[in-house]
Formats: sequence, structure tokens, C-alpha cells
Amino acid sequence: MTVQQSQDQFAPLLSVEGVTLQYKTPDTLVTATYRVDFKVYNADRFVLLGPSGCGKSTLLKAIGGYLRPTEGRIRLKDHDVREPGPDRMMVFQEFDQLLPWKTVGENVVFALTASGRASKAEARDRAHNYIEKVGLTKFIDSYPHTLSGGMKQRVAIARGMAMEPDVLLMDEPFAALDALTRRKMQDELLQLWEDTRFTVLFVTHSIEEAIKIGSRILLLSPHPGRVRAELNSVPAGSMGSPEQVALELRINDMLFGHEGKRP
Amino acid sequence: MSETLVLREEIVNPETPLGDVAVEASLSWFERIYRIGAVRKAFILLVLAALWQAYGLWLANPLLFPTFTDTIAALVENIGNGVIPARTLVSLKTLLVGYGIGVALAAVLTTLAIGSRLGADLLEALTSMFNPLPAIALLPLALIWFGLGQGSVVFVLVHSVLWAIALNTHSGFRAVSNTLRMVGLNYGLRGLKLVRFILVPAAFPAILTGLKVGWAFAWRTLIAAELVFGVSSGSGGLGWFIFENRNQLETANVFAGLFTVIMIGLAVENLVFATIERRTVQRWGMQH
Repeated sequence: MTVQQSQDQFAPLLSVEGVTLQYKTPDTLVTATYRVDFKVYNADRFVLLGPSGCGKSTLLKAIGGYLRPTEGRIRLKDHDVREPGPDRMMVFQEFDQLLPWKTVGENVVFALTASGRASKAEARDRAHNYIEKVGLTKFIDSYPHTLSGGMKQRVAIARGMAMEPDVLLMDEPFAALDALTRRKMQDELLQLWEDTRFTVLFVTHSIEEAIKIGSRILLLSPHPGRVRAELNSVPAGSMGSPEQVALELRINDMLFGHEGKRP
Repeated sequence: MSETLVLREEIVNPETPLGDVAVEASLSWFERIYRIGAVRKAFILLVLAALWQAYGLWLANPLLFPTFTDTIAALVENIGNGVIPARTLVSLKTLLVGYGIGVALAAVLTTLAIGSRLGADLLEALTSMFNPLPAIALLPLALIWFGLGQGSVVFVLVHSVLWAIALNTHSGFRAVSNTLRMVGLNYGLRGLKLVRFILVPAAFPAILTGLKVGWAFAWRTLIAAELVFGVSSGSGGLGWFIFENRNQLETANVFAGLFTVIMIGLAVENLVFATIERRTVQRWGMQH
């Protein structure tokens, strides 16, 4: 793992510049985030962390292109993000993100061919490859409804990675899983990252998950979401170490400090 | 209320062999047969046929109520001399034309409705106006517009099919989860491609229901329309067959005609639609 030593030498892959996001409910205009700035570099495991109401998911949707900022801009490489596209693949929290009328293999192949990222033959090769990476080769011809929640999320990750996007956007992908499966999936995601060094933007509300998954953590404070801090995480594999515990406490203080310290 | 916890010994069971408790036992043969849906339905049909026969025999008035066996005999005779097959063919041809046009129009309307708010308003206004309007009520008007012939029947058929399918498809589209829609957008699919590759398959259970309801409406409307104003140019359908035979007091033939209508309805429901269901929505786990 390398920590970015001098950022100025590298151009950021994704930059979020003074982004204010607002959305309308039937009778109010809600400001979800207010003038948020951050930069994501190549091969970052960048985590957006904050309590509910900090606009982290809304922010991810804006980067996904589903929502236009009312102020500021989002730049990916050298162009502004305007609409959803296959250069930013989303992995959602919901298990119903796979197309139920396609098998595991077809789901990945269809993503590649429909978006024009690969020809049919190449798509099949790539799909096979990435499904193997997440350990689901045996289930390549199964329909999603026959899979467990964890397996569905693995397929969604395989699909996202097979598209070889500039950045993989993950919106609390493990939040709906049971604790044991979640831990396993976190380890697998880190292993996949070790293999291919993709850039990932990961949203979570779990401090522990943020420290485990992230190389860099953006803390957002709620109502509306503003950047509280941008921290470096501890090296992967040092869970339970004093540094990790210290970082967890520090983050806890920053997010919940005014509510009194928790053990 | 006591505030103290009750102290107990811990219980740890040694791992012992299970003994002769059957984990899986096979069901009795009666229960196994009873679980086959076709068997249960066949049994019901058999009982109904027996009741019919018994009542017919007891009444002993073939003009009013022919027995089951008389009806079957009339059916076999009319199939044998080619009358019923020819009439059925005429009916089915008209039906398919009307059904096809109805499905196509429903597709256009729902696509418009999903594409724009104005389109949705249009569809909602049209369905709430025309869906409750019985197709047969339009027949007199259709006769003025299209004359005595297939055109009028097709017109009322389209009317009976269109709204049921459009309504179901539209509510199916609206029930598609936002996540799937976002996935489609993420692939770069827009407009018609999004409809074709994401919305239609995702809403397929609702669309299929619409097609089934539309089919039943169409079949009903067709027979009724043929009964009301018969035919053009001497080649009538099943409704006309029923009407003709009633006029000649051939009640067994009337029953045979009705029987054919029912059989075709059952066949389409249980063969065509059931097969489509098994191959699509059931296989995809969208319906059980």
C-alpha cells in the first residue's frame, strides 16, 4: 500500500469542487450537502463516512450523474459529470440491482454490450474472468433469485469491475448483509483491490468499515453535509492494532463528540 | 417484581446419534396425487359433467337443456362436418387482428406515458374515460362508421383490449424499482432502449396480466358482437353459429358452440399463457 506523498505531482482522477446538492420534497427544498470539496486519485479506496443525513449517498448519486449540483462542479478526468454513464459504475445496497431476467453471466455480459464497452465475444471472456474473481463460476448460469444476498452483491461487484470503469461507486453495498457475510465481503473486496488496483469510492456509515476498507476517509457532518475532515486510514490488515483503535476513537469524537464520548 | 436474575446451571448436551427419527418421510400416495393441480381440476370438471348429465336426464327436455352426452355428440358431429372448425377459424382471425392492433396501440400509449408527464396524463384520462365503457355499447356507432363487416368488430375488439393492457403495462412500468432504472441509466441506456431492455422485462409480470385480461375481454367481446349483429358476407364466426342454431332450436348445437368457446378460452389460458409464464416470470423468480 502506498500513501500519496506529494499530491501535486499527480492530477486527480475525480474532483468534487464546492458541490452543493439540493432536492425537493413535496413541500420543502432540502440541502443535502453544502460546498463539499475533495479529490480522488488513481487507485484510491476513498470512503465517504458520516451519520445518516450527511448527504453521503446523495453525493455519490451526484458523482454517478443522477443528480446535478446546484452549485459547484464534479470533474472526472478532464470532463464534467453531466449524466450517468458506464465510466462510473454504481454498486447499490439493494439486492434487486441485478436484472432478474438474466443469469449471472448474462447480467455481466449485457452490461458490457449494452454500454458498448466490449464486443459480444470479448464481453463473454471478461464476464467469465470477473465472475471467477468473485468465486461464482459455478453459478454463472443461475438466475439471481436463486442466489443469497452476499452472492448477489458479489455479482454486482463483478459486473462493476468487468466494465473497467474509471471509478467504482459503492453505495453501502454490504449494509444489508449479515455481520459474518459482511466481514467476508470486506476482506474479498480488499483482495480484489490488491489484484487489480481499481479506484473505488465507498459510502458507509460504519466507522469500522470505513477504516477497514478505506485508504482515505472523508468525514461528513450532517444537516447539511459538510466536510469535517479528510483522514488517512491505517494500513489494511492492521485491524485491532492500537493505531486502528486510536483512529476509530478520533473519528468517533469528530462525528459524535458533542454527544459525549463512547467507549 | 423481582430484580434479581435467576441463577441456573449451564446446559451442554453431548453429541449423541439421532436414533431412528425419520428426517424425511415420503407422503402417502393419496396426498401425492392430491398435490397435482391438474388432477384436482380434472376431478372438479368430472363432477360438473356428471351433475350436468344427471340434471339433463332428469329434466328430459332437449330443447331447453340437452344432456352432456347430447352436447358432446353435437360437438363431434359439427367438428366432423367442418362447421365448427371453419367458424372458429373466422372468429380467431378477427380476434388476432383486433388483439394485435390493441397490443400495438397499448405499447405506443404506454411508451408515451413513461416518456413524459403529459403522455401519462393522456393515458390516465383516456383509460379512466374508456375503460368502463362496454365495448358492445360502441357497436352501433362502429356499424355507422365501418359498416356491417369485419371492420366494426375489429374496432370494438381494439377498444376492449387496449385499455386493459395499457392500464396494466403502465402500472407495471411505474412499479419498476428505481434501482433497476438507475442500473439501466448507468449502462448508458436512454429512451426507447431503456424501455425495451429494462422497463419491459422488469414490468413483464404486469404486462402479462394485461395481456391475459385483454385476451379474455377480446374473446368475450367478439362472441357478443357476432351474436348481436351476425356477419357480413356469409362467413360467420362462433357467435353467429350459436345465434343461428338458437333460431333453429338446435339447442344441443348451441351448447356445442358455447362448449367450443369455453374450450378455446381454457386452451389459451392453460397452454399459451401458462407456457409463457413458466418460461419467463416464473423462471426469473418474479412470480411463483
